[in-house]
Amino acid sequence: MRLFRGAFLLAWLGAGSLCAQEFGSDAEVKPKAYIVYAAETQTVPAGKPSVVELHFRVLDGYHINSHTPKSEFQIPTNLKLDPAAGVKAGAIEYPAGTTYSFSFDPNEKLDVYSGPFTVKLPVVAVAGEHRLSGTLRYQACDHAACYPPKTLPVDVLLTAK
Amino acid sequence: MSLRRLKGVSVKRTAAFVVVMVAGISLMLWAGWHNLRERRLAAQKAQENHVVLVPDTGTSAGGAAQGGNTGGMTTAQDEPLKGKPAPAFTLVNLDGKKVSLSDYKGRPVIVNFWATWCAPCKLEMPWFEEFRAKYAGQGFEILGIAEDDAPKDEIAKTAKRVNVSYPILLTDGKVAPAYGGVDELPTSFYIDRKGLVETETIGLASKDEVEANIKRLVGSGGEAPRTAGVVLPAGGTR
Repeated sequence: MRLFRGAFLLAWLGAGSLCAQEFGSDAEVKPKAYIVYAAETQTVPAGKPSVVELHFRVLDGYHINSHTPKSEFQIPTNLKLDPAAGVKAGAIEYPAGTTYSFSFDPNEKLDVYSGPFTVKLPVVAVAGEHRLSGTLRYQACDHAACYPPKTLPVDVLLTAK
Repeated sequence: MSLRRLKGVSVKRTAAFVVVMVAGISLMLWAGWHNLRERRLAAQKAQENHVVLVPDTGTSAGGAAQGGNTGGMTTAQDEPLKGKPAPAFTLVNLDGKKVSLSDYKGRPVIVNFWATWCAPCKLEMPWFEEFRAKYAGQGFEILGIAEDDAPKDEIAKTAKRVNVSYPILLTDGKVAPAYGGVDELPTSFYIDRKGLVETETIGLASKDEVEANIKRLVGSGGEAPRTAGVVLPAGGTR
């Protein structure tokens, strides 16, 4: 009887695997966001100028315009943070983008972020825990299509000691 | 007697077990083969659609913009509007004049959604302009809908920069949802003379693919009506 159960389980697994593949071959589902950001608490010395790093990652297969795109028509990546009590924030520092062009149109220059990129925020914070909230506005494309501009909520958590 | 019966039952069970095992293993092997085949087909399709972003070397080969080998077409796997009447719309052009899709009744038309920030859109727009002239005798027309928040003068500036003279229309925020919610650009709807959506394309297609779709479009549904000709309706010019 145990043998029968084993054989039945094997057959069921085979069928299950097949069904999973059939459903897995459905049309590609586009992500709702093309960037991920994980808020991580950072510790800075209280009352001293420090730099907080914000780590973003553009999903594989996509790119976004850098903060300084080559064309006036391209929408730059822009981080806006609301003021927070006890934190004096300086000018946001963006990484340089990578200059790319489409293989079929070398004349159209793109300056993009792809994969991980880090935005730096100079701060001076009084002792205590702080949260700066804001949004990252960006516009993503893949190899053949572009997507409307999006805003990603961003929370910067920092502890000043 | 009882021992024989027991032996018989045992043999039958073993045989049934073997059959079930063989069936199970066969099913797993077939599922694996099926999976591998699907993956190969998907990889092949992805390769066909692949357009490479290349690091800028500071040199530019202008001829590469011909697009004959881009192969970047992304045809909608699901084309809900295919074979159905194209949703009607009335929008304003860059001159502030009203333009309706019904103005082009009886003519093959591409409704192309684009935006100023969309690089692939700006690449294919000059191709549309070229094919518009080439197939003007068949009444072919392009309507470019700027699905964009940019001010009108920026849209006009972009259209001028890419040298298009076909009607550029400003979105009213309702036209894209009527066409199924255009959330990738460029997206184009090829509408035949009967006003039915023949093809929907999402993303940049190669120039050859675009022309093939246009040829199919202008070749379907008979000749253009005499009244249409190549004369644009009053509101159809930029």
